[in-house]
Amino acid sequence: MTMTTTHSIRTARTRTGRRPIARAVIGAVLLAACNNFDVQNLNAPTAETLTSSPSKEVLARAAVGAQTQTFTSIGGIIQQWGIYGREGWNLLGNDPRETGEEIRGPQDPGGRAGGIWAGEYGAIRSLNTYEAALANASGLTPQEVKAGLGFAETLEAWHFHLLAIRSGPTGIPIDVDHDISAPPAALVSMADAMAAASALYDQGLADLQAGGATFPFSFVGGYTGFTTPATFVKFNRALAAKLLVHRATFAACAACWAQAATAIAASFITTTGLPDALSTGVYFGFTSAAGESANPITEALTSNRYFLHPSLVTGAQLRANGQPDLRLSTKGAPAPAPRTLNELTGTYKPVMYNLPVSLAPNLDADIPWITNEELILLRAEVRWNTADKAGAISDLNLVRVNAGGLAPTTLTAASADSAFITELLYNRLYSLMWTQGTRWIDARRYGRLATLPIDRTGDVVHANMLIPSAECDARGLAVPCKIGG
Amino acid sequence: MRGMIAALAVTGALLLPATVQAQTRIITGTVTISGSGQPLPDANVTVAGSTAATRTEASGQFRISAPQGNVSVVVRAIGYKRGTKDVPSGQSSVDFSLEKDALQLESVVITGQATTVDRRSATTAVAYVSGDELTKAPAPTFENALVGKVSGVNLQSNSGAPGGGIQMQIRGNNTILGAFDPLYVIDGVIYSNATIASGRGTISQAAFATAEDDAVNRVADINPDDIASIEILKGAAASSIYGSKAANGVVVITTRRGQAGQTNVTVLQRFGQFRPTKTLESRHFDEADAVKIYGAGVAHWFDNNPSPYFNHFDQVFTPSSLSFETVADVSGGTDRTRYFVGTTNKHDGGTERNTGFDRQNLRVNVDQNVGERVKLAVSSVYNRSTNDRGWNNNCNNFACHGYAFAYTPSFVDYTARDASGNYDTPDWGIQVNPVQTTDLAKNHEETNRFTGGLNINYDALSSARQSLKFVVGGGLDVFQQNNNLWSPNELFYEQPNTLPGAAVENNGNSKFYNWNLNGIHDYEFTKFSLHTSGGVQYEDRQLRTSRITTTNLVPGQRNVGQGTNTVGTENLTQERTLAFYGQEEIRLLNDMLLVQAGLRAERSSVNGDVNKYNIFPKVSAGYRLLNLLGEGSELKPRVAYGETGNLPVFGQKFTLLGTPQLGGVTGFTVAGGAGFGGVEPERVKEVEVGLDGIALKSRLTWELTGFRRNTTNLLLQRVPAPSTGFATQVFNGGKIENRGVEAMLGVTPIQRPNLQWLLRTTYTRYTSEVQDLAGLPPFRPPLSGFGGLGVTFIQVGKPLTQLVGRSFGADGKATTTDVPIGNTAPDYKIGLVNDFTYKNVSLSAVLDYQHGADIINLTQFLYDDAGLSADYGSAAWEYRMKGYNGGVMTPYIEDASFLKLREVNLGVQLPSRWVRSVGLGARSVRVSVSGRNLLTWQRYSGLDPEVANLGSAAIRNNLDVAAYPPSRSFFFDFSLGF
Repeated sequence: MTMTTTHSIRTARTRTGRRPIARAVIGAVLLAACNNFDVQNLNAPTAETLTSSPSKEVLARAAVGAQTQTFTSIGGIIQQWGIYGREGWNLLGNDPRETGEEIRGPQDPGGRAGGIWAGEYGAIRSLNTYEAALANASGLTPQEVKAGLGFAETLEAWHFHLLAIRSGPTGIPIDVDHDISAPPAALVSMADAMAAASALYDQGLADLQAGGATFPFSFVGGYTGFTTPATFVKFNRALAAKLLVHRATFAACAACWAQAATAIAASFITTTGLPDALSTGVYFGFTSAAGESANPITEALTSNRYFLHPSLVTGAQLRANGQPDLRLSTKGAPAPAPRTLNELTGTYKPVMYNLPVSLAPNLDADIPWITNEELILLRAEVRWNTADKAGAISDLNLVRVNAGGLAPTTLTAASADSAFITELLYNRLYSLMWTQGTRWIDARRYGRLATLPIDRTGDVVHANMLIPSAECDARGLAVPCKIGG
Repeated sequence: MRGMIAALAVTGALLLPATVQAQTRIITGTVTISGSGQPLPDANVTVAGSTAATRTEASGQFRISAPQGNVSVVVRAIGYKRGTKDVPSGQSSVDFSLEKDALQLESVVITGQATTVDRRSATTAVAYVSGDELTKAPAPTFENALVGKVSGVNLQSNSGAPGGGIQMQIRGNNTILGAFDPLYVIDGVIYSNATIASGRGTISQAAFATAEDDAVNRVADINPDDIASIEILKGAAASSIYGSKAANGVVVITTRRGQAGQTNVTVLQRFGQFRPTKTLESRHFDEADAVKIYGAGVAHWFDNNPSPYFNHFDQVFTPSSLSFETVADVSGGTDRTRYFVGTTNKHDGGTERNTGFDRQNLRVNVDQNVGERVKLAVSSVYNRSTNDRGWNNNCNNFACHGYAFAYTPSFVDYTARDASGNYDTPDWGIQVNPVQTTDLAKNHEETNRFTGGLNINYDALSSARQSLKFVVGGGLDVFQQNNNLWSPNELFYEQPNTLPGAAVENNGNSKFYNWNLNGIHDYEFTKFSLHTSGGVQYEDRQLRTSRITTTNLVPGQRNVGQGTNTVGTENLTQERTLAFYGQEEIRLLNDMLLVQAGLRAERSSVNGDVNKYNIFPKVSAGYRLLNLLGEGSELKPRVAYGETGNLPVFGQKFTLLGTPQLGGVTGFTVAGGAGFGGVEPERVKEVEVGLDGIALKSRLTWELTGFRRNTTNLLLQRVPAPSTGFATQVFNGGKIENRGVEAMLGVTPIQRPNLQWLLRTTYTRYTSEVQDLAGLPPFRPPLSGFGGLGVTFIQVGKPLTQLVGRSFGADGKATTTDVPIGNTAPDYKIGLVNDFTYKNVSLSAVLDYQHGADIINLTQFLYDDAGLSADYGSAAWEYRMKGYNGGVMTPYIEDASFLKLREVNLGVQLPSRWVRSVGLGARSVRVSVSGRNLLTWQRYSGLDPEVANLGSAAIRNNLDVAAYPPSRSFFFDFSLGF
């Protein structure tokens, strides 16, 4: 370019020396032609950064990005699944859907009912891209590649697990790792989707086991104690166990109970050091740092936004001293004033993510992902279903006593299944309230949606979320769409 | 490209050795104004069939050389009808007396970067508005002043906020994702109309973070008093000279310039006020109902009055502060040097407490002749605009007033204070007091702007038969917009926040420059003439925006350094275009037939292939039939075909990684928008036919145009299945058709020395249809609206502007799927301009009528959601609630038809003996009263059917969510001429 230009100008001068206008014209045109038209986008890195032989440092960034994407939807899950399952309400009153569509219906697949979808698949796209990038990375050892793969597969399985839960009978696409121009992946049933997620957890396990001693990237907050392939395996098994229990109940997978037992055993479950050790586990490590993800639920006690559903207050079992279950009194607190909106009155605020004692908001509060407390409850459920009912009662009591300050249950190995399940679900609700919509999921798993409280005539309990309108549109299906329809 | 330059040079060279007419003679004369007999300086004098041209001096005298034999001398001046007189070979002097050109038959029409043609001969429809028509009634921006005066153009305010925020749409919607506003060119300088959001939505937690900021589009900086004329190039054949920036039409503004002759000084002083036109009512309460719903805590509101009722609009939106405008102009010059210096200082008060708009301008335009062949024209203007926009539109924390009103029961008095003078802590359910918000919160904008242009005209050759000139033009338009927002900690809506107190520092830096070089050759044969032009143009546009937002402020502090949670963002867009063009214009049959054809080839940096030249052709013809409809009448059928483009938006070719930050590390994520490396401009292809006429001795003129424009190769945003992990991907394809009719009729029913009545009417009708979406399923475009609350929806076979949502089915129940429930485009618009002049008194009025168009009344939806609608419990309320409860939006879709009395002006030119007795040395004194938006007839139950919560957008959504209410203004003007 430079050579040609110089030559042209010289030629032009000779030819047009006596005609200043013509000289100016040609000079100016050449000036313009030399301007660089290949204007780059200086606002952010482009996709080529990851696809053209990425360095270890770039891949480490991609791994951190994948971690941040697990944080994206948890606030929405707590709120929406919590409202669906009557764990709580949003009574701020700025969006009619929170006391309308989500409690009364009809569900809008173009809005709230179609949520917790795009973000999950966005994360899955990032993870798939990261996995592909590992294959042509430069500067990574084979063990580091395996470790990266195992990490990515574990998170990917988690996202598929969430998607399968949200959608239930509508089905979800699984085979999505194709170019954007490919036709949309087929919808598969909840059972098949969960089975695919299980397989991903298992693949992750295998890769982590071949992954050497360290990960080739850093971890964000919340993973303390699980940041090497050897310890991350325990996290992988904990999540795998949770999924297997869901498969056993949602999808009538009888074999899953035994597999779940194996997975729990390989997880970080422990019964020593209780009650402190109940909170051992992996968290979504929110932070108040500028530009980062702050805890999405925490708020001042005076705020009119979040309230515990009154049934959590009235339904709490009493301790020997007559006081309610410790899990209620530590996770909830009376609001300074009752709040009524559209005939719903909230009196108790969720404070599990506020500072203790002062109950001031705490943007740094972590949200449990999976903890020892949940694992013990999962094991109780598994044991009840694998002919170890005494063990199940014993596990249940570990939680009742250590977390709730309650007396051991009066149930025995001889009690009816339904009585055990009622007690199990009670403890799961109070141990896991406002973490992942446990009450809603459990009621669905055990066909107990009808037992959830109805507060106003005409209200309903939604059985699942819907496939978003855009997903139906892209498939040329009428909204709302579902597998086989 | 060197080939093309060479071709250009050769063309010029071949034509250079010209035959020079040996025998010439001199004709002299004087031009005066009909009626007054005053001399008319600076009129253009030409000899038909030759290239000779001159201008009259201050005395109205001229001197021109003409060929031997019988010739025809033509005199033209802006604002006057042309004069044509035959001068036989023996005669050496001729005088002219020109009549005022009320119907603007004599204006010229742009045909190229440096070429024009008489309106009578024009082959395309070009709207023309003179500066005088714009400034009769004071307007916040020139766009306000255009409303109702031009056909084919749809101008709508986004809200009633002071200082602009208007969308201009020429010949309908032509795009979904591309640029949707016209290209603005002022004195040859490409002028930015960027809309830079203030960041208010980050404080008010708006759903669409920036679209709901009710931002000003920056042509608001243009001072209407500076404008000499506006031409609007509507069709593709006319606008194709601007290539791939012209798909939405081109607005060409010419500013006022000095004329040779005596020095003119004008001083204009205006005073006035803006007043709210309408408020909304709310449900009435007695104490028992209030306590039942809001608890015993609200009983105290009934202590002194059993049925308190406060209209909250009246507490926040009040008659504005004194508004004023001072305009002072000086112009004049000699035959060789002419100048215009104009200054303006303007203040428009807002009806919301503590809002308003100010603008200051200094313009200096100079024309200088250098030697006999070179003319230099310099234009320059400095503008400063400041704006306090207030707190309106959608929000999610009640920081927007209309939203707060909807949720505040009517027994609450926002102005109530406790014993120590503090506002009562809200006890009515929501945590806000809008009166406190207007007292304390700041939403301030300041823009400083310089626009300067230079035009050099070099007459390389001028003989009786032919002329060759070179024109070099170019200029620079730079501005800096700064927004400074403060939401102090003590505001009730801030107090519940975890990190109370917020401040925003927002900056936009724009730099546009462009230059062009043109060669223009005219050849006059006896039977026809050839006009050849060609050139090269370079354009460079850059916009950098940056924003710092902070929360958790130190109490009482507004500096963004005084918060703990601070976030910064920056965005840079750049675009470069290089274009070559050439065109040929042939005038045949004594100028009765005009044929034009041209080509433009351009490359741009935002295209996927930056080396590819896209070609935009045009061809048009018009034939003037004389005296068919009586003596002096003209009838002109015309036809035109043209192509223009709409460039990809910067960034559409890139797939960017997300960069979320956590634990102090910035990660990379894929997701969001997928880029398209092969992206190309959209292409508009348009056929336009017209039939223009002049009849009844030039007392009737009309322009009738039909057009069909197809936009192909659309920039489309696929929403891929979200399961791909991408939210969007851009690609080219599909087709939109717009067809329509536009008409202008001008008539002077009364034209007597003492009494004139001028009536001009415009009619605009067009419809759009999505004809092809390149296989895309129907989709919701960006900023389509709120989920199930009525959205625009792009669907083959349907108008681009349709609204869909749930409706009531035949069984009376809510439909399970979305169905068409409205259309945001009007069926047609009519503008009516009436000017009466009786002796020294003039009265003018502008009416603006819109028929059809639907609007979504989400403000009503909010009142219903709060249970506070004024008609609570009525049958109409029950019908809406049936929709509300079933997710059905049809009860909230309303007819947006309106008739507005846009402008009224009553003025008196004081008799000269009065003027003398005033004794200021003034030559003339004029006083007038005027008003804008004085009367509105509307079906809409909300405040104003002209509203767009999401601001200017390719597909206007007519969404009303608590917008800044409309106002009417009254002004008293006093003008002195020296």
